[in-house]
Order: sequence, then C-alpha cells, then structure tokens
Amino acid sequence: MTEDYEDLYRNAPFAYVSLDADGRIAMANDTLADWIGCPAHDLRGQRFRDLLTVGTMMHYETSYSPLLAMQGHFDEASLDLRTADGGKFAVFGNARVVRDADGQHLATRLALLKSTGRRLYEREILDARDRSETTERATQATLATERETSELREQFIAVLGHDLRNPLASISSGARLLQRDLRPERRTRLFEAIQGSVVRMSSLIDNVMDFARGRLGAGIPLDLRPDVMLGPILEQVVTELRIGVPDRAIETAFALPEPIRCDPSRIAQLVSNLLGNALTHGAKGEPVRMRAGVDGATLTISVANGGAPIPEPALARLFQPFFRGEVRPSQQGLGLGLHIASEIAKAHAGTLGVTSTPAETRFTFRMPLHLPGS
Amino acid sequence: MSAVVRNNVRIRGSGPKTMVFAHGYGCDQNMWRYVAPAFEAQFRTVLFDQVGAGGSDRAAYDPAKYASLSGYVDDLIQIGEQLGLRDTVFVGHSVSAMIGVLASIAAPGLFGQLVLVGPSPRYVDDGDYVGGFSSPQVDELLDFLGSNHMGWSNTMAPAIMGNPDRPELGEELTDSFCRMDPGIARDFARVTFTSDNRADLALVSVPTLILQCSDDVIAPTPVGEYVHRHVKGSTLVHLRASGHCPNLSAPSEVIAAIRGFV
Repeated sequence: MTEDYEDLYRNAPFAYVSLDADGRIAMANDTLADWIGCPAHDLRGQRFRDLLTVGTMMHYETSYSPLLAMQGHFDEASLDLRTADGGKFAVFGNARVVRDADGQHLATRLALLKSTGRRLYEREILDARDRSETTERATQATLATERETSELREQFIAVLGHDLRNPLASISSGARLLQRDLRPERRTRLFEAIQGSVVRMSSLIDNVMDFARGRLGAGIPLDLRPDVMLGPILEQVVTELRIGVPDRAIETAFALPEPIRCDPSRIAQLVSNLLGNALTHGAKGEPVRMRAGVDGATLTISVANGGAPIPEPALARLFQPFFRGEVRPSQQGLGLGLHIASEIAKAHAGTLGVTSTPAETRFTFRMPLHLPGS
Repeated sequence: MSAVVRNNVRIRGSGPKTMVFAHGYGCDQNMWRYVAPAFEAQFRTVLFDQVGAGGSDRAAYDPAKYASLSGYVDDLIQIGEQLGLRDTVFVGHSVSAMIGVLASIAAPGLFGQLVLVGPSPRYVDDGDYVGGFSSPQVDELLDFLGSNHMGWSNTMAPAIMGNPDRPELGEELTDSFCRMDPGIARDFARVTFTSDNRADLALVSVPTLILQCSDDVIAPTPVGEYVHRHVKGSTLVHLRASGHCPNLSAPSEVIAAIRGFV
C-alpha cells in the first residue's frame, strides 16, 4: 500500500497541534478536534493553554512553559484537555520547539497521546500506595506498642525480683532471730514484723496476678455479692496493714450501715493498695485518714495522706502500670497498686480519682450503688 | 545548617551592590539563566533554590515550617544574614515576589529596592478583588498535582540530560531543570495559590518596580495594577512579553526594565 501523509497527519492515533511563537494554535489535526468535540478550524488562533482544564493550565504555565523556554522540549507531561461537553480528556504530551537557523523560536509542536486508561491505572497505583502507607503506619504503631510492652515486661521482671526479695529478706532475718532465746515481747514484735512482710508479699503477688490477667485481656474478674457489709471488711484491711507499721497512725471514719452490692475481696484489695500507697509515700509524722460512706446513690471511699504534693505531670500517669514517680528503690511497690485499684474501680462501673495539694494527697473511689444493668 | 548550603546559594559577578534573584513556584534558579548574567558586570548576583526545588537540601523540608510563606521568608532573611547582605536589589518572580515583599518588611535594611516580576498578593478572587482564579479552580490544581505523581515523580520529572537548546549555557547545566519533589510541589502550590498578602503591600517602604506581562493568566494585569496602587511610590512597567515567565520568554525586555530602575 502507499501511505497518505495528509490523512496520516489528520487522522493519526495521536493528536497533533502546532503553536506559533506566541503560543497560539496555528494548526491542529482532526484527532484533537474529535477528542475535544470542536471543529479543527475553530481551534486556530486559540491559545493552547485555553484547551486545558484550569488545574492543568496552572501547572502548564508555571512548570511546562518554563521548560519549553529553557530546554526546548518536554516529555510525558500529564495534561487534561477540556471537552466541549464540559468533561476532561486525559493525555500524555510531548513537545518540541522549532527554531530557524538564527535560533529564533518559530513554532512549538505537540503530540498528545490518549491516556484515559493509563490515568485510571496511575490513580489506582496511587490509591494502592496510600493504602499501603496506611497499613505501614498501622504496622509501625503495633510494633511500637509491642516494643513498649516488651520494655514493660523487662522492667516488670526486674522490679518483681527486687520487691519480692525485700520482704523475703525481712522474713528470713526475722526467722533467724526467732531461733534465739528472746524475751516474749520482743518475740511478739518480730512475729508481727514477719506477718507484715507476709501481708506485703501476698498483696504484691495478688497485684502481679491481676495485672497479668488484665493484660491478657480478661480484665479484672469480679465475684459480685448482693449484700456485702463493707465496714468490717475495711476494718480488717486496716488492721492487717497496721501490723507492718505499728508506729503509724491510720484514722478511720466509716458510715456504712447498709449492705452494698460489690466484690468484697476486690474492694478490700483496692483499699489495701490505696492505704499501702499512702503509708509508703505520705509524710511519716502525719496520720493516714480514711473515710467511707454513702452519698445518695454513690459509695465513696477516700484515703488521704500528708507530705509533698504529687507534681502535675505525674498525676496524669499515676494509674498507668509500673508508674513509680521518682525512683526511690528502698520503698517501692511494683508500680501496679494504683493501676490495679483503678481497674477494680472500673470493673465496678466506678472511678478512682486523685487530688494533690500541699495540705494533702487524697485518692477517692466512687461507685454507683446500683450497677448499670443489674 | 547553613542556609547557603540548604538553599543551594550561587554567587557570581562583582560590584559594590548585590542583586538577589528568587525563583517562583514550578521551577528553580535556572529561571534566571537568561537574566542574571547580564548584571554580573555591575553587581554581585546571589541566586538560590527554594527548599524542595532544584539543588536545595530536601532533607531540610519541614512541612510545618513551610506551611505558609513565612518559612520561605525566614530562609531568605537567613541567607541575607549569613552573606551579610545590606541594601541589596531584590528580584523575585511570581510567589517569590511576595516572599521578597514580606522579607523586606520583616528585615528592614536587607533590600534597598524591590523588583517584582509577575507578583500576586492573592490568586483567588475575593469580592471586588480580582485574583484570576476561583477557589474550586485552585482545588482542581491541587487535586491534579496530587494525582499526577506518576508523571511528576523524581525519575520522570521533566528532565534534561544534556543537549540543551542553548549550548553556550551548557557548561552551567546541571542534570535537570525544575526538579521538585512531587509532594513538596503540591505543598508549595497550596501555600502559593492560597496565600493572601494584600495587607502587607502598604507596609513596603523601599522603591519598588513591578513588571507586568501581557496576557499572564497566573498573575493577570488587574493584579499587577492592584499591587502598584497599594505599594506606595511604586513603578509599574507593562511588558510586551506574554505569559507568566518573561524572564525566559523575553529576557532582554526584563533586563532593560531592571536596568532602567536600578
């Protein structure tokens, strides 16, 4: 066959457009006219940029135009043509500047290739990239949580070893002393000290077990009883704790005449943790003050101690596991006591809050007497 | 980090006074390649790339810092401080014309004269003010830039690997023109086309020349006239050159206008 050059130009699978030195269309082929739905002769004299959607045109004027001026061509430009019916027609464009022998700019030739499918494909790739970035961020977040947990675990093991050894050492030395021939009152004091250490270890172990359960997702399990007389239970907790610190004053004021629906051993654990905390961190010369009572439909138990207030930044983190304020290893618990107490409060649909002033630091547990759904 | 390294500062020419050239959105300091050399005999010329463009240090790009023009203004002032620039001639194109205006207000003494090529204090129409674009049109540009990373990616960016049209400039040629990180390009477009610095024009206190192209769709003639009305004692020169980049399409006209001013 013989190819018809004119027909090749007019109906090529590319759109061809030639611009004069001023950027106006001198000639365009029928393919372009067909794509944008405008007769080819009407295109003559229009500015090429006016064939583009506004977004593309702004980009063309600020980026592709300078390239043409500097390097005399551009390749693979993504452009959107405006169609007569108000739509967009996506193309890839290459352009070449034509100069005369003196280097004068004569014309610019553009060849445009339909790329609607390609553009969709690019959009899909970009969407896939965005999704992959989202997944990546989620993975990074999970990894960070895992790292944090792993750090917590190591910290936990270190603290556990340290804090269980302390009361164990006291028990051991107490037991050695008991072998000697001692006066009865000295024996009694030693025995009480050993009892105190046992209570402390036992409470640490309870906390560790509850923490492990909580972290495993089960939360704090409750054994709810419908009619608990809390007064005697709280008295018992106070008595046990007094054994370990015979020289400290614990003032109590309980007004709990009615039975309450709760898990008695959990409430005892909560109170024990709060009292233990107050005895450890409160000023030694001031009493620990505990109040319990019912106000309307709310049970309120609070424990207060004197001493330096808790700094503002620490307040927010008090109920996180392993939070231990400043490092004072000699008198630390596991940093789990307040966390567990707060979890027990939550399990009872209640709250555990704290206020700290130079006058006193007070932890307050509040729970509704009628649990939702009960 | 040194602003000179961060912004790929290039110093040429010699003379008692210094001329600072700032490129606008869409390109890099190559934008001045047909204009700046004409001043090297009488002036020390300072050219630089905005962070994210050309040979700047992309690691220095901080989205928070560059979320408004003030990040670019700070960079320009820092370049001036590190080079000990005083009483210089500032020549800024497009958005960098406004960056120069803001720097002249924030750092008095840095610039003795301003040359604003195609300035626009606001691209979006607002009541009686004609900026040239509607808000949805600017959104369309940003969406277009966001969805065209393939055509604009680092490897595919419009690039030239030798064979420039003007071999006399070949030796200066770096590996490409107008390189810009696609993500940064989109951010810079947002900052540029959503800026509104109309209120700052009245604070300009140095002699100012405004070069307005004919048929500039990015910064149309009414915008140049607005800048002229609001910068006290400014001079407005209408160029025959059409389009938004007379520094490339009609360098001799731009050179003559600047010569007549300085």
